[in-house]
Amino acid sequence: MNGLGTMWRGKRLVVLALLVIFAACAVRLGPKVVGLSEGADPFGAMGRFFGAAFAPSFADQNPSLPPDATPFLERMGSDLLRTFRYAFIAMSLAVPTALVLGFFSSSAWWPGAMTYGRPGGSRRLLRGVLRGLRWSCRLLITLCRSIHELVWAMFFLSAVGDAPGTACVALALPFAGTLGKVFSELIDEQRQGPRAALLATGASPMQAFAATLLPQALPDLLTYVLYRFECALRSSAVLGFIGVETIGLGIRRSFNNLYFGEVWTQLYVLMIVVIAVDVIGARLRDRLNRGVLRRRAVAATSGSPPATERALRRTAPRDWLVRGGVLVTLGLVLLSWNLGERLTTDLSARQRSDRMGRFLTKLTPEPARPADKLAATGERLAALREHRGEVATWAADLWKRNGARALLTTVAIATAAIILAGLGTALLLPLGSRALARGEPFGVLGTATGAVRLFWEGLGFLTRGIFVLARSVPEYIYAFLLVALLGPSAWPLVFALAIHNVGILGRLWGEVMENERPEPSQQWVRSGASRGQTYLGSLAPLSFNRFLLFFFYRWETCVREATILGMLAISSLGYYISISRNYFHYDQMLFYVLLGAAVIFAGDLLSDWLRRRLRGGVVMS
Amino acid sequence: METVFHLEGACRSFGAVRALREVDLTVEKGERVALIGASGSGKTTLLRLIGAQLAPDAGAVRVMESDPLGLGEGGLRHLRSRLAFLPQDLGLVPNLRVIQNVVAGRCGRRSLWGTLRDLILPGVEARREIFALLERVGIAEKMYDRLDTLSGGQRQRVAVARALFQEPVALLADEPVSAVDPARARNLLELLSQLCEEEGLTLVVSMHQLELAKEFFPRLVGLKEGRVTFDGSTGELSEDQLTELFRLEGGGGAG
Repeated sequence: MNGLGTMWRGKRLVVLALLVIFAACAVRLGPKVVGLSEGADPFGAMGRFFGAAFAPSFADQNPSLPPDATPFLERMGSDLLRTFRYAFIAMSLAVPTALVLGFFSSSAWWPGAMTYGRPGGSRRLLRGVLRGLRWSCRLLITLCRSIHELVWAMFFLSAVGDAPGTACVALALPFAGTLGKVFSELIDEQRQGPRAALLATGASPMQAFAATLLPQALPDLLTYVLYRFECALRSSAVLGFIGVETIGLGIRRSFNNLYFGEVWTQLYVLMIVVIAVDVIGARLRDRLNRGVLRRRAVAATSGSPPATERALRRTAPRDWLVRGGVLVTLGLVLLSWNLGERLTTDLSARQRSDRMGRFLTKLTPEPARPADKLAATGERLAALREHRGEVATWAADLWKRNGARALLTTVAIATAAIILAGLGTALLLPLGSRALARGEPFGVLGTATGAVRLFWEGLGFLTRGIFVLARSVPEYIYAFLLVALLGPSAWPLVFALAIHNVGILGRLWGEVMENERPEPSQQWVRSGASRGQTYLGSLAPLSFNRFLLFFFYRWETCVREATILGMLAISSLGYYISISRNYFHYDQMLFYVLLGAAVIFAGDLLSDWLRRRLRGGVVMS
Repeated sequence: METVFHLEGACRSFGAVRALREVDLTVEKGERVALIGASGSGKTTLLRLIGAQLAPDAGAVRVMESDPLGLGEGGLRHLRSRLAFLPQDLGLVPNLRVIQNVVAGRCGRRSLWGTLRDLILPGVEARREIFALLERVGIAEKMYDRLDTLSGGQRQRVAVARALFQEPVALLADEPVSAVDPARARNLLELLSQLCEEEGLTLVVSMHQLELAKEFFPRLVGLKEGRVTFDGSTGELSEDQLTELFRLEGGGGAG
């Protein structure tokens, strides 16, 4: 097929460049994949661990529990409920915040819509002010997003004390950022015709927003909120690893005690829950886009008397399932706020401000720390200003000692992981494609026998199942398990990130391929190309740009996660963040966190720019 | 007679493209005017100019005796609220109900809260009014159905109902029959003419189907390359003027 050369023109270079970058990252991360101490038997441990996958346990594996201890299933149940509860609370904080942030950083309310003629001085001033507001919203969104929820949680727990409420707020912050960003993109990418039509009849931008853009975007907004809820469940589970009592804590405890059966039970439960939310989301999107049809026709026959407005209204099609779902959700939000353990600490106001003061003192860079631990804000700022030079040397010293190296490792881990995930997905994708993995690819050449059909459809289902399972477990849990099995080196982190992202890229890229025009590929199949040839020659190059788009978006998330995963192995910024936290060196911790945030900030800008170059206005976060 | 639209030497460019060049036009209350011309002749720009959506680069515009350039935001909104505009893509929201699409027509005279209320829980008065309007355009039984369950012709009627709900002085329609089969085009133009006659509305429609324009509009305004080439009653239009109107520049009668 001579089409191959032209179809891949320029794209070959991208693939080659990615492979070279991967090699460079691999060199940087070193050859040590298994980092266990002498005499350890990684294969034995792995065998025992994966063997337990087939024997999940439904009772305590610990033989020496006191008789009045809470049984395993009950413990797991309440851990799961708490996981849900914190996810609900976090989302109920994040969604309203994100709506406001997203609205103000979109162009929906832009008063430019009402401009007529040349803007006068006052209008130009107003526009300047509003532009400032818009950019500060965008900045706020990016700031919230650049710091991982686990880091927010560690800061908050240190500052305010161990309370589930603080963990929820920590969870809500980056979620509000991401939701806000996607909300604003969703609002901006809606068809502008309806809005323009209303503005032409004298509607204000706010009215036009309420009557056109918001309802237009609502199905997408709701499904995205549900997707983020799924993410919130995963993150809430991960919070367990820093001590919040969610299912993650149960997994960690069981694993540390080598009760692998319990680990698998909890993993399975987490997978089932996450997949269930995923399925509900898909159904919801379908339903909202389709709408419900009128069940009874009113006055359908020409002979009957014309319908009255009342009768029409009474029989109007209403989606009770979606409405009921919204009510149930609101009810659950109310319950999560009001039922269960208290969300705040029992500290008095004085204790709380003491604690906060001590935290702030430790947060101040060492050379500029005030002598009085409970100094007022003014004194703190004065001290900072006075010791400016010393703080700069302190920061430069940290940068030289660990910062630069850790930063490079973090980026290398993320990059290696996403390239690995991209390769894996590219290999698995044709097997999971609904168009290719079937008896007759693209529905042409109907000669497949029943067995062939069954084989391919089974394979497709299986591959898609692998994608779903891979993404249902958070990266952090994969990393925790892999580090425990392989020892603390950077590679288990790379693998953990890669596995999770194969699941996500599999879904995103699969959707891209399904939305691709089938005609060119059908042409290939008709001219006798095999499934592999059709994929390489037509489907993959046609979807390549959008593949890259999602690839970069995931790279950015990988950097964020890689920062955190370092807490588990002795590498990346996360390691230094957790070490400084353990020694209460909050100032150093802040330094490393800001370093990570800066990378993510830069990555955010870079991937935004790349995405805009590849194709304007594609949303998926 | 009362003048609704008045243009004097109006020019408008988009970058290097000069969409309108020194256009003079006066439309009196209750007139029905068709703007005809090939695509790119400036019809849409002219409509947007008299609809106070676009300001002229040079020349004067008066809409209902007032100069939109001299109005503040409130005044501009008020002016626009009396001009109904039917865009080519209709500007309806597919996943809202018919009633919600129609009720939005009155935004220009409502507050934000009023609009929200209308969208979520419309009052008895508004419901009765909309039902009556939908009856007039012949799709009352669809009042509570989602717009995307309606056919193309029904959607056009929803857009017309929305325009009427606005209670305008004039109705401007941009190529309403360009993407429609001849029977439906005739139907829609009949409906528009009839409604405008009943309500005493001024109607300005842009189109390129000359036969239909001649049949439904007493006055025709021909546009070519941003200039008005003729302006008069339908009977006055000569064959020469017609061929001139649709002849391609420099092509010497191509096509």
